[in-house]
Amino acid sequence: MFKAVGKKAFMKLMDSLSKGYEIAAPRKFSNKGVFYSAITDAGDIYLGAEFTVEPVKKLFLMPSEWLFENRFNDGKISLQGGVPPQEARKRIIIGVRPCEARGLELLDKVFCSDFKDSSYSKNRERSIIVGLACSKPDKTCFCTSLGSSPAETRGMDAIIFAGEESDEMMLEIITDKAREIFAPLEDAACEEHRKKLESEKKKIKDPVRKINIPDALSASFESGYWKEVSSPCVSCGVCTYLCPTCHCFDLVDEERKRLRCYDGCCFKDFTQQASGENPRPTKRERYRQRVFHKFDYFRKNFGEHLCVGCGRCIRHCPMKIDISEIAANAPKNK
Amino acid sequence: MLKELKAISKELLKTKRVDVILAYKRASDGVSAMPCFIFEEKDIDKMILDSYCVYNLSNYIKDFPDKKIGIVAKACDIKSIIVLLQENQLKRADVVIMGIECHGVIDEKRLCPGERPVQDIGFNEKCRSCKSPLPAFCDYLLKEEEERGKTGRASEGDGYASIRKLEAKSPAERLKFWEEEFSRCIRCYACRQVCPLCYCPKCVADQTDLAWFSRASNLKGNMSWNVVRAIHMAGRCVACGECERACPVGIPLMELNKKIEKDVKELFGYEAGADAEQKPLFTCFDKKDPEDFVK
Amino acid sequence: MTDFEPKIVAFLCNWCSYAGADLAGTSRMEYPSNVTIIRVPCSGRMNPIFVLKCLMNGSDGVLISGCHTGDCHYSEGNFYARRRFAVLKSFLGYLGIDPRRFQMSWVSASEGDKWAKLIHELVAEIKEAGPNKMGKE
Repeated sequence: MFKAVGKKAFMKLMDSLSKGYEIAAPRKFSNKGVFYSAITDAGDIYLGAEFTVEPVKKLFLMPSEWLFENRFNDGKISLQGGVPPQEARKRIIIGVRPCEARGLELLDKVFCSDFKDSSYSKNRERSIIVGLACSKPDKTCFCTSLGSSPAETRGMDAIIFAGEESDEMMLEIITDKAREIFAPLEDAACEEHRKKLESEKKKIKDPVRKINIPDALSASFESGYWKEVSSPCVSCGVCTYLCPTCHCFDLVDEERKRLRCYDGCCFKDFTQQASGENPRPTKRERYRQRVFHKFDYFRKNFGEHLCVGCGRCIRHCPMKIDISEIAANAPKNK
Repeated sequence: MLKELKAISKELLKTKRVDVILAYKRASDGVSAMPCFIFEEKDIDKMILDSYCVYNLSNYIKDFPDKKIGIVAKACDIKSIIVLLQENQLKRADVVIMGIECHGVIDEKRLCPGERPVQDIGFNEKCRSCKSPLPAFCDYLLKEEEERGKTGRASEGDGYASIRKLEAKSPAERLKFWEEEFSRCIRCYACRQVCPLCYCPKCVADQTDLAWFSRASNLKGNMSWNVVRAIHMAGRCVACGECERACPVGIPLMELNKKIEKDVKELFGYEAGADAEQKPLFTCFDKKDPEDFVK
Repeated sequence: MTDFEPKIVAFLCNWCSYAGADLAGTSRMEYPSNVTIIRVPCSGRMNPIFVLKCLMNGSDGVLISGCHTGDCHYSEGNFYARRRFAVLKSFLGYLGIDPRRFQMSWVSASEGDKWAKLIHELVAEIKEAGPNKMGKE
């Protein structure tokens, strides 16, 4: 089911919904980029072609989060969960790209299956995902090689097709949750609109690059290839933090509180053991681990590659390292 | 310039004067540059040299601790090599510096998706305050054959205009500005990893068994991290701009580091990376150092 | 605001300033009790990260006090400190942190009266600056 709505009417609805719901959407900060922000004024919502720097993952698996705090009162120790208390309000997240929604589905396999991570699951339950189809895929995008596409709707409650020049946008409603929220929006849809929606979908260029991820990376494990391709890497962590699917974390105790914060296999200390040993002492081992986790181990464990082809790691890598090319060119044997 | 550079590099590898050459090659998108490491003469043809060569290759010197290194370096990159020499991180005989004439490198940050508008990409902010296209300290000096039309250098100003603008604001405005910037920090430590002068085996930020400051990416933790790093760079930062370029969330790190650079110049007449014989800033003092702030 | 009692941390060098503060005490000079003293061997031992940690964790003010230049027990420690903290002082101001919150002084072992006067002034200035909101998350 879809509606053709005026952008102004959409923003007005968002403003009225913000009283009952938490609203998060991309917002453009001049010179800095586009970031997911808490929206108090719907006029701040950015639905243009530029991609957010950080993926929507950061609204579910937070960059840093207090898990619990211990108190010592009257000779008794008590644990208080979630400092500060976690938001209970329902949340509407607008502007989620298909690759990012796919990323959430992959994260669900880790945080929301046999074991439900309490804060991640709560965030998933309370969120309604309104996606945004990509009108201008980037040169770094390769989502079509990994089971997604610029107009894919998996993982979304609704999806928006918003042309930059037009005052109108197409809103395709997928789940009942979305139907309920967008009920107040008048539907101006007609045959002309239906045709327009189809042509909008067709207009979206397929990302230029098709990458063939090899089926069996493991044969190349000992190859000198990994030393060569990892040498420009500076182990900075940007690719990991900005990846919609990377999810490794560190647990640190600080002043009676336990903190969970992002961590990455690219950091030297990631596998530092208390004995002093480090099984991944150089970039070669660490970069190889990153490629293997994404394109070998995760599929062996969960059935799919741990990558959605969003291109953030390539776009923001300070050294322009391209993991898609590196994986595609991995030698067939040692 | 590239032909000469390749010839010199070939010779350096052939005579085993160096074990590896740190240079630039074309990235997989066919437009940008990327760092590359050449161990054999047959790979010399990978080298490129153009305005996309923004990276400070001296960051990789720490990856080759016992090797002799040949490095392709712009004037700004050479300043960080000089600081490494001052701090005994490198022996002079173990590095061969191939200095290249540079009129500016391109800032590819924050490109819009879709087509890459080449003519809209401007020069990197750091190039505006560059003193000279020719490096002064090097083993080989490679000059351009032809006159270059465009330059990234600003014709006037000392490069501190934006610092002065911030200094002129009220303390409350400044605090608001920095709190807003630091609130976006995600503690990825890219600024530290791309810096040639951040070479501590265990960074203060990673010392968690008794932590100096929080690892949480809240305002308190982020401010602590960025301020500590700026202080650790005092008198050492050569304003190569890599930290600001690498920051994924666009924090204006050069506004932090250059403020200290300006202060250090005004208070002590000291400039980082100017002279390899000079001692590091905080290992020396002058009996006449200013003390008006001391009661 | 009148109830606000600032919490101030003071790093004193063992040979001059600590002795000077001690002299103020033995001479029964009265001065505000808002200052917690940490003894260091020399002002040259001081690391800017100590000052930063205090301010980030809620101290309303930090003071470093050492020997007068030329009188350092270790000859030169205070010269190094002077350079280091000139940079920190200017930088903290640039970040928007009230400059009154970080101060430095030279107090010799015989200057008990200077110490008492210094603390009176320091506490008054920090009271005016108000509570440090930084450490309160």
